[in-house]
Amino acid sequence: MPAVQETIDQVRLIDVDQYKYGFETEIEMDKAPKGLNEDIIRFISAKKNEPQWMLDWRLDAFERWKTQEEPTWARVDYPKIDFQDIHYYAAPRSTPGPTSLAEVDPELLRTYEKLGIPLREQEILAGVKKPGHEESEDGVLADTESLNVTGGRRVAVDAVFDSVSVVTTFKKELAKAGVIFCSISEAIREHPELVKKYLGSVVPASDNYYATLNSAVFTDGSFVFVPKGVRCPMELSTYFRINEKNTGQFERTLIIAEEGAYVSYLEGCTAPQRDENQLHAAVVELVALDDAEIKYSTVQNWYPGDAQGKGGIYNFVTKRGDCRGDRSKISWTQVETGSAITWKYPSCILRGDDSRGEFYSIAVSNGYQQIDSGTKMLHLGKNTSSRIISKGIAAGFSQNTYRGQVSAHRKATNARNFTQCDSLLIGDRCGAHTVPYIEAKNATTQFEHEATTSKISDDQKFYVMQRGIPEEEAIALIVNGFVKDVIQELPMEFAVEAQKLIGISLEGSVG
Amino acid sequence: MNMHVTPQHTPAEKALIDAFNARVADLPGDGMVTIKRDEAIDAIKAGLPTRHVEAWHYTDLRRLLTTVPAVSTSAPTVLEPLLAGSTVLRVSGGKTQDLPSAEGLSFIRLSDELAEGRGINALGPTDAADTIGAINTAFVTDGYGVEIAEGVELAAPLEMQNLHTGGQVHTRFGVNVGAGSKAVIVERQTGQASALASAITTLSVRDGAEVLYLIVQEQPEGSSHLGQFRATIGKDAKLTLFIMNAGGKLVRQEIVVDAAGDGCDFQLRGVNLLAGDTHTDVTMVLDHSSPNTGSREVIRNVVTDRAKGVFQGRINVHQIAQKTDAKMACNTLLLSDDADFSAKPELEIFADDVACGHGATVTDINEDHLFYLMARGVPEKAGRGLLVKAFLAEVIEELENEAVIEALEAKLDAWFVLHG
Repeated sequence: MPAVQETIDQVRLIDVDQYKYGFETEIEMDKAPKGLNEDIIRFISAKKNEPQWMLDWRLDAFERWKTQEEPTWARVDYPKIDFQDIHYYAAPRSTPGPTSLAEVDPELLRTYEKLGIPLREQEILAGVKKPGHEESEDGVLADTESLNVTGGRRVAVDAVFDSVSVVTTFKKELAKAGVIFCSISEAIREHPELVKKYLGSVVPASDNYYATLNSAVFTDGSFVFVPKGVRCPMELSTYFRINEKNTGQFERTLIIAEEGAYVSYLEGCTAPQRDENQLHAAVVELVALDDAEIKYSTVQNWYPGDAQGKGGIYNFVTKRGDCRGDRSKISWTQVETGSAITWKYPSCILRGDDSRGEFYSIAVSNGYQQIDSGTKMLHLGKNTSSRIISKGIAAGFSQNTYRGQVSAHRKATNARNFTQCDSLLIGDRCGAHTVPYIEAKNATTQFEHEATTSKISDDQKFYVMQRGIPEEEAIALIVNGFVKDVIQELPMEFAVEAQKLIGISLEGSVG
Repeated sequence: MNMHVTPQHTPAEKALIDAFNARVADLPGDGMVTIKRDEAIDAIKAGLPTRHVEAWHYTDLRRLLTTVPAVSTSAPTVLEPLLAGSTVLRVSGGKTQDLPSAEGLSFIRLSDELAEGRGINALGPTDAADTIGAINTAFVTDGYGVEIAEGVELAAPLEMQNLHTGGQVHTRFGVNVGAGSKAVIVERQTGQASALASAITTLSVRDGAEVLYLIVQEQPEGSSHLGQFRATIGKDAKLTLFIMNAGGKLVRQEIVVDAAGDGCDFQLRGVNLLAGDTHTDVTMVLDHSSPNTGSREVIRNVVTDRAKGVFQGRINVHQIAQKTDAKMACNTLLLSDDADFSAKPELEIFADDVACGHGATVTDINEDHLFYLMARGVPEKAGRGLLVKAFLAEVIEELENEAVIEALEAKLDAWFVLHG
């Protein structure tokens, strides 16, 4: 996800549908044949040099997946997916291991260049080829610090390209603090005890159709472990990109914050412009033990399809955080502007006493996009609290649904929730929907829910335009005001990016 | 797991099917009516809805409907109307009684209509999730059709009573309110012993008419009540619907309203008094299908003992329905740790120039308010009662009709005597 502002201006020149990451990178790919069967799963597992227990876990998930049905309850409409017509594994051929930067294909580096990428990491990646730079033991440049400081904040990045994690930066410095940040494949090899303990403990292998599929075929993703009492010294970030045709991207992220630990994690996604739909089914699991805090931010900008609704990413994601310890906190912030279809409900299981869950969301849909997104807050422990702020903006011919559940268990005394979901409609061809489920089983529960739907008032628009601001910019300005509550929750460099992104996503929606 | 097989019938499903086979020959109507009934029972044979049917998400009818009593024929005692001086139409044990006469009103009996093959289009479930429509169509015996003439202001309220002494009762009311007319209509659903009741009401409020419609459901303990109220509101017309649920073991009250006329207005006020082991579900679907329409829905629930309450409300704003102003609120006081309440207030909006919103709260009595009262010498129990009553009375008082407010508050008091 670039925080580079110039790209914004370049983008305006690109295309009607304003998608700025619509290029593909031609590099040699190592692909599994199309289709899904046990052999493919064995192939993936072998490619990753996985231990037997991991393969067994995958095969078990695959067995269960075969018995499950595709869910149809979401308010999204798409032709049936042929799960046999997808490559379940694609890796850039030139990167034998996820950490060997020196041999990175120059095409790949150019990709990063076009992206402005990932969060200033362009410089590091480019640096690989500069003479005089030396690699440290763990394969990451030793002199990255000077290059990665922007405005006093540093970000460590794990980039996932199609199926494989190609680079993880800052590992050494993170290791000094005791933080493990690596690709999940590496974690399976290097830290099997942690992976075994936590993988599938929040999202069970057969949780739902797409999560089960992911469990069987996940190819890579990020792994973060923050030990007891450690405050992760920098923002962690993952960058996902689908590049190859007909591939699915199935990444798996696992973040564990031990007692008293803190970590903030950013996730960005893009994909090239293609006519056919591509599938993305990720699983993210967060575990927060006593007094730990995890902040997870996403800026999702997968290719949304063209102006006629052709192509785009099908984004079926299972994200769940488990506030396992007392006084733990998990906060989800998402800016959803991409994907043809989004099916995503980042949730919090408030198991520990006094734990807290938060969900801040901006979902912008334009063109023929369909978004069905929201959250689940399950209050199980005592004195738990949760907060949901959701802002949906629908334009063009899009459908934008908030679907959320807040429930208080019988024993969850003093559960508190505040939910606000607001929708903004731009144009009369789009739809905005709100479907909350509120379930209280305890008399000490205090749940408050409110939702509104409206359009940008002519008065507001007139006020802004009267000051010489063109209509489109006026709308962007008002929309940014509408989503301010959520933007404020994003890490600063993402906030700037997110505001621009919202402006771009809505372009062409007026007039 | 991924195979759809016809489920093994539950005892209730089996009892319904058996009851149908035993009674179908005696039910009014033949020809097309019988075909409709057969189709309806087929829908029941396919299985009562479970929570996997979204419209029944919180009321798993297949699991909850456990008793289907045999038909009872004894006649219930007379019930005094809610509002003094009302014109009363009585259905007793599923049979219509003598027709009253009142100016501007004309009546027909549904049994006569069915016997002559009329009114068939109104029969049948409206969609796959309309189980109430299916059960009622299969078994409906009688009911009234009421026509209120154009431009009439009814001098006396009209009360339609559906009384029974247990068993099964399946009835229908259909009311047309002529253009520009004004009416207060009361619908009572009650009896003397536990029963399975299905009751469908269709109301047409024609252009410029104004109707206050009250549904008071006080089914005896152990009863299953499946109610459905369907209304269409014409141009510049106004419908205020008030529902009170204060009885029954398994209650599902569906409200389906189409705000179809330009500039029309719909108001819903609801009070659900849930105690004991009741499971009460109020499900509303409101369509705004014309421009410049307005609606407000306020539902207040008090849930105590082991009761379970459900409110599902969906507002659909059609693309044509610009300038819709729709607001929905559902407030619940949860007074017991064994009670629970679930709410699903939905908005489905396809028009952009609208102002829509909903709010839902679930909480216990505010301790500060209670403290305020207790500091002034009000004992705790009385203080709680006062606060609960104030919470409910607020919506009743919005009805702006003295006689109605008084009668409903008397109902509240009676409930508090039993459950306070």
